[in-house]
Amino acid sequence: MDKAGDGMATGKKKMGGFWNRRQKTLCSIGFAAAYLLLALLAGLLVSPESYGVDYGAKFLAPCFAHPFGTDEMGRDMFFRSVKGLSNSIGIGVLASAASSVIALAFGVTAAVKGGIADRFVNWCVDLCMGIPHLILLVLISFMMGRGQKGVMAAVALTHWPELTRLVRAEVLQIRSAQYVQASYRMGKTRMWAAWHHMVPQVLPVYLIGVVLLFPHAIMHEAAVTFLGFGFPPEVPAIGVILSESMKHIAAGNWWLAVFPGLLLLLAVMLFDVAGENLKRLWNPNSGNE
Amino acid sequence: MRKKIIGMVSILLALGSVFTGCGTGAAAGEGSAGSRGQEHGSGIVCYVGHGFWDGSLDPVKGSFSYGYDFISNGLVRVNPKAEYEGDLAESWEISEDSLAYTYHLKKGIQFQDGSGFRAEDVVFTYQTVMENQGQNGEVDLSKVKKVEAVDEYTVKFTLKEPYSPFLDSTAQLGIVPKDGYDSAAFDQMPVGTGPWKVVQYDAEQQLIVEANEGYFEGAPEIKRVTFVDMDNEAAFSNARSGQLDVVMVQPSYAAESVEGMHMEKLETMDVRNISLPCREPGTFTNANGEQVEVGNPVTSDVSVRKALAIGIDRQQIIENAFHGVGKPAVGWTGNLIWGNTAEYEDSRAEEAKGLLEESGWADTDGDGIREKNGVECAFEVYTPADEQDRYMLAAAAAESAADLGISITVKQATWDEIVEKTNTQGAVWGFGQFSPIVIGNQFQSGRFTVQPYANPSGYENQEVDRLIAEAISANTQEQAVAAWKKAQAAYAEDYPYLYLANIEHCYFISDRLDISMDTQIPHPHGHGIPIICNMKDWKLIGSTAD
Repeated sequence: MDKAGDGMATGKKKMGGFWNRRQKTLCSIGFAAAYLLLALLAGLLVSPESYGVDYGAKFLAPCFAHPFGTDEMGRDMFFRSVKGLSNSIGIGVLASAASSVIALAFGVTAAVKGGIADRFVNWCVDLCMGIPHLILLVLISFMMGRGQKGVMAAVALTHWPELTRLVRAEVLQIRSAQYVQASYRMGKTRMWAAWHHMVPQVLPVYLIGVVLLFPHAIMHEAAVTFLGFGFPPEVPAIGVILSESMKHIAAGNWWLAVFPGLLLLLAVMLFDVAGENLKRLWNPNSGNE
Repeated sequence: MRKKIIGMVSILLALGSVFTGCGTGAAAGEGSAGSRGQEHGSGIVCYVGHGFWDGSLDPVKGSFSYGYDFISNGLVRVNPKAEYEGDLAESWEISEDSLAYTYHLKKGIQFQDGSGFRAEDVVFTYQTVMENQGQNGEVDLSKVKKVEAVDEYTVKFTLKEPYSPFLDSTAQLGIVPKDGYDSAAFDQMPVGTGPWKVVQYDAEQQLIVEANEGYFEGAPEIKRVTFVDMDNEAAFSNARSGQLDVVMVQPSYAAESVEGMHMEKLETMDVRNISLPCREPGTFTNANGEQVEVGNPVTSDVSVRKALAIGIDRQQIIENAFHGVGKPAVGWTGNLIWGNTAEYEDSRAEEAKGLLEESGWADTDGDGIREKNGVECAFEVYTPADEQDRYMLAAAAAESAADLGISITVKQATWDEIVEKTNTQGAVWGFGQFSPIVIGNQFQSGRFTVQPYANPSGYENQEVDRLIAEAISANTQEQAVAAWKKAQAAYAEDYPYLYLANIEHCYFISDRLDISMDTQIPHPHGHGIPIICNMKDWKLIGSTAD
């Protein structure tokens, strides 16, 4: 086991001369961030006309004019997919932001206050994690009247439990540290200590958590939309595009599913890789897990 | 980390299945179609949608209510010309005051369980439906006062008030045996007088029927039919691999080809239209006493409705939305005896534009959409989220309307949401049935906001109301038909609905199967099951018919 590990490590060293882990990590993060920004911006800049209806160009296979082909209504699949991915990323950003704020607030409060607050937060976490995630998403989205509002609320409100647990565990560890205790003795309030001593300590774990949360949020948005509980079908979204494509696969129109699927897959995988690398960089101990 | 890997592997697998999915489809197409149905002997395997499993198979609870001779028979039936003829009844007469309907039954008919068919079975069936009307949303017997057996082979119905569509009700309701009836068992294994009897029912998997050798019009030639349940795309793939004899497909598949099968586009009476709210914006007190928002500032202008009706290009819309499958329609179809076939030319864009200019709709800000007094000539049209073809139709119509300077935004929603929206915005509807009462449902002013789906345009015209009442209380079928036609002519100039297309039902049929096109009746609403209306006449052709 150890030998194999060493072999791999030396092999890597030999192969990638000037690329160390740090550079590779930064590179992957840079690449992921660039992809995210590019997709988001491209989506905002793409005009609805570019994926407008053109009945003269139905079901065109990928070609120079339409790199991703066209669909049943002659809409350009490239621009539609980019716009869709942009919508998904928008939801992802929102969900990550909302979930991380909830997780930080819940996690720190639970660990610092303890007692009833801790039990309440744990109860909420158990409650949310006890229900299968997809069902919870569908439930919330349906309750909020589906559509854009529904999927936003559903994705934003269901991604905090794991992160909350993580933050809580970290804070619990730091709470008993000498310097925190000293801070209490010097008359600082619990919240002051939490903000000045604990939050900076949990930040790396927290930020990694946020990055790793992002691909989940995108996937879940696409999944909920695919099932018909998310974006309405007239809005370009990867989930809508994929569920529409299912109707035409049997007739051999493979490009309707493959390219938008790959686009989504690429986004999700890039962030996963970036997140995992960040974790090793900021939190080297995780290598021993 | 492990979780992530699993996640990614599953994504890759899902993607992989996409590739293999179309791979097998293509490969199967090259496979031998000779194997089609061989393992089923002289039987056939069909896919006609999910209809069999959606509800009960019991006629008492509304199954097969369009009156096909399948498992049971009605008293009368419609023939391929959409006229009524006797089925279990030899003949019938209607009294002078239109209140008594007397049916003389055929003799010597047996149920599939061996018991003889008598007037008491008819009385039992109708009484059971009347007592449990809540379970049967298809056959409305609320106008029937009583049903009695005059003798062993004569049944007399007495109505509460004159109601000429009652004749159609007697075509819709299949008769069940009085002695053998079992409400629970009949949901899956009904017994009737029809040409087919159920031998196996596996919910959402398959339904197997066998020929009734004792059928009073002669046993069907095909001895065994298996209906399978799958999704549309899987069915198409199965057809390509030669496992199915009849496959229902959506219009977008009409241009595909399957070895050993041919495409049949069957005539329907199903017309697709867009309801255009006729009322001025305002509030309206509905049947529950609630104030609801109704009306639309754009579609309440009859010149907008007329401009749409004469200005759009229906043939082009059908090309775009349905790949050319279907016929342009400006009203009910000519294959209905009561259908008013008065037609008009469309694509008269210049005339339509002139009409809009005349009534003050002009594009003053150069955005391609007309305005009048600050109101944009724009409205929304809703389509049910699970029906892609209606969305396609509305989107194609919107394209055509844009040429006239009228902006239509197509949205998708659930039926619950659509029912609320129709008070103020348009919606795509599909109607097609033998009973002319559908005209009452769509145009009678008193029905607005009373039931969902009834008079969604909020149309109000006293003359039309009067003619509908006249048709309903007519004494003879001829009088009723004449009044129904007059009612259609009376609302024609108001264009409360934008009629677009008369759809056609597409099926791939095995080349070894003859589905007897001569005896197919025009298909009512609901793609799928209607093709079996004449299944007793189907034949296997060539050497495979053993």
